[in-house]
Amino acid sequence: MADTPYAYAGRILRVDLSTGRIWADPFPGADRRRWIGGAGLGAKILWEEVPAHAGWDHPDNRLVLATGPLAGLPVWGTGGLTVVTRGALTNGATSTQANGFFGANLKFCGYDAIVFQGQSPKWVYLHVTDDKVELRDASSLLGKDTWETQQALEAELRLTGHRLSVYSIGPAGEKLARFAAIQGDYGHVASKNGCGAVMGKKRVKAVAIERGAKGVAAAHPHALLATSEEMAHSLKTDPSTSSLYQYGTLPGVRNLHGMGALPIRNYTTNVWPEGVDVKLWEAKSLREGFDHRGHQCSACGMHHCHMQVIRSGPHKGELVDEPEYEGWAGAGWAIGATDPQQVSWLNTRLDRACLDVNEFGWLCGWVMECQQKGYITDKDLGFRLEWGDVEGAGRLIQMICRREGMGDLLAEGVKIASEKIGGKAAECAIYTMKGESPRGHDHRSRWEEMLDTCTASSGTIDSGPAVFPTEFGLPARISPQDPVAVARQVGTLRGRRHFEDSLGACIFTTRVPIDLLCRSLAAATGWDFRRDEAIRAGRRAVTLMRAFNLRCGIGPGIEKPSKRYGSTPVDGPIAGVSIMDQWEKLLDTWYETTGYDRASGRPLPETLRALGLEDVIEPLWGAGARA
Amino acid sequence: MRVLKIIPERCTGCMRCELACSYEQTGTFQPSKAVIRVSSFEGHTSYAPYTCPQCAEAWCLTACPVEAIGISPAGAKEVMDDICVGCKLCTIACPYGTVFYDPDSHKAFKCDLCGGKPACATVCPTQAILYVEAGTEDWLGSFAAERALPGALAGVR
Repeated sequence: MADTPYAYAGRILRVDLSTGRIWADPFPGADRRRWIGGAGLGAKILWEEVPAHAGWDHPDNRLVLATGPLAGLPVWGTGGLTVVTRGALTNGATSTQANGFFGANLKFCGYDAIVFQGQSPKWVYLHVTDDKVELRDASSLLGKDTWETQQALEAELRLTGHRLSVYSIGPAGEKLARFAAIQGDYGHVASKNGCGAVMGKKRVKAVAIERGAKGVAAAHPHALLATSEEMAHSLKTDPSTSSLYQYGTLPGVRNLHGMGALPIRNYTTNVWPEGVDVKLWEAKSLREGFDHRGHQCSACGMHHCHMQVIRSGPHKGELVDEPEYEGWAGAGWAIGATDPQQVSWLNTRLDRACLDVNEFGWLCGWVMECQQKGYITDKDLGFRLEWGDVEGAGRLIQMICRREGMGDLLAEGVKIASEKIGGKAAECAIYTMKGESPRGHDHRSRWEEMLDTCTASSGTIDSGPAVFPTEFGLPARISPQDPVAVARQVGTLRGRRHFEDSLGACIFTTRVPIDLLCRSLAAATGWDFRRDEAIRAGRRAVTLMRAFNLRCGIGPGIEKPSKRYGSTPVDGPIAGVSIMDQWEKLLDTWYETTGYDRASGRPLPETLRALGLEDVIEPLWGAGARA
Repeated sequence: MRVLKIIPERCTGCMRCELACSYEQTGTFQPSKAVIRVSSFEGHTSYAPYTCPQCAEAWCLTACPVEAIGISPAGAKEVMDDICVGCKLCTIACPYGTVFYDPDSHKAFKCDLCGGKPACATVCPTQAILYVEAGTEDWLGSFAAERALPGALAGVR
């Protein structure tokens, strides 16, 4: 493949749904190095191609499904998909990831990304096999959930397993639920900021990628294989990742409960309810309480993703995807459900409907609390929904997917729904004022993540948990309720996550020293690529997303939690400790650290200059600022 | 002789073997050119890697009209590209479907055990593919002895 650039396919697949035109644009060398791929490439396209007037549901919005340079190479967990678009919850920038085999299969077809624009006059799916790309009629797929859609396409195309990747929306996406996700390869979900609603608005039911016959070359293949082994060794043996290697995110339930960060019953308590068999919630029990089997993503050796079979209860025998921690929280603790067998079933129902499990947890928990307190009556809802009623929650999914009765309002997400109902009901809903869903923790004891969620520009967290913070000159551990230390950590780490999300790799397999990631990228591409360049690239991407949001009118005035989200815990390890008392201090320090303007939210001209974003100065600061 | 021992229950379908194999075969990561392949059945979460078992009585080798398939020092049945004329008879003769035809090079290609250091076994993260000494016990011999007429073999040496 002499004409193929190392580690890249070198082409971006473009699809104009309004006209049906399909073409390939080059992904030139200078752009590759500047934007890397995934989140970086997506940020560039969003900034350059989506004007302020084109909201999430406008045909001029772009839906970027991008992978990155490591996808298709033998580095663990590199089937990565990053979805970048203007999302339905915040009406701003979105960067959300899923794994599986998307990235690998797309690269073997010869593309680094797919960019949708326009709106199709009828429902279609995109079929990609090497150089043959077609929009095909999807009317027979309508109404099918995401797993049924994949099964139907497997049957139609006569392919099984990883030779065909299908990333699709379920009924919730077709009906434009604002927290609809894109789900693929049985259990991998790009869930944030309603990217599935954007896909639904464009009338794209699915993207079906047959594994292509092309190859991906590495500049230094032996070095790449060696670095990949080193990354694997780090994941297996470093104390910060060894349990992740062994059990994925399952240990989160016990660990987060211990620090008061397990969200129980819509943030009304931080203590296990009485009578709960806590042993069932240990990582080992969550895995072995089901018949299970590994279900790994491209080239991955983590014991993370699994499929499982439900062992008891009304859905006994059903094959489901082992929930992530987020699933155990959103489809479980947030709504008061405490039987893992039932929670696991509900989690896969959400994936199949294509609803974000975090937002669903906050929405369903809110409805349950409102029912308990009489703010939403049985008549309003159409039935009684008590804490922990998993079958009832399943019914809620159906109502949202059909926009039936109150489901029509609930499909708008908990912010819009609670504001519409108003009164006391509005006060118990968990959301950020920008509209994005917090992840499945109680952030009142994870200050770094509440700050990150509220200030983020990607429709979810920007910085994420601290991975090897000492590499950034930060202390290894900080006092979790010290506002200055917390904000400095969140601000300083900014960029690492977006660099990872540009690689086409999984956020869990990139939890290794950043130097190791750089060496891996260097071996793949042949670049002399070091830590500074990685951080700059990541910060460039996330800062451009912020600039995009500012252009769309999303400013710092709404960088705060809803009343309940920012409330003070009444029990548990940090009872009585209030984050809102320190909120201004958190923001002050965060702005100072990131080099953004505290009053207007704009990245300062010198910050933009340092990131090589000179051409963004004028649009943000006006014509005089450049000089 | 060492052979590839495949334990399908351990396979999680990550396809790393296909990537590494194709690299050995072609110099790029290109699973379409891999000579180990994973049959995956997602609906049953079942994965089965399969490749050439290096048959003692190799039909590919016997079927080849130009004697392009030889036996390597590692014991692998190996296609010699300079002799192969691309007639595909070996791919038809193989009872396991593990001899392939490359439309780009017009040659047959198959597992050559990477010259004695098979990449698939090296990279498999779950040890579903092992490169081990083949058992040499004569398991049909004991079966035959059991069924043989008493005394029929007496005196035969």
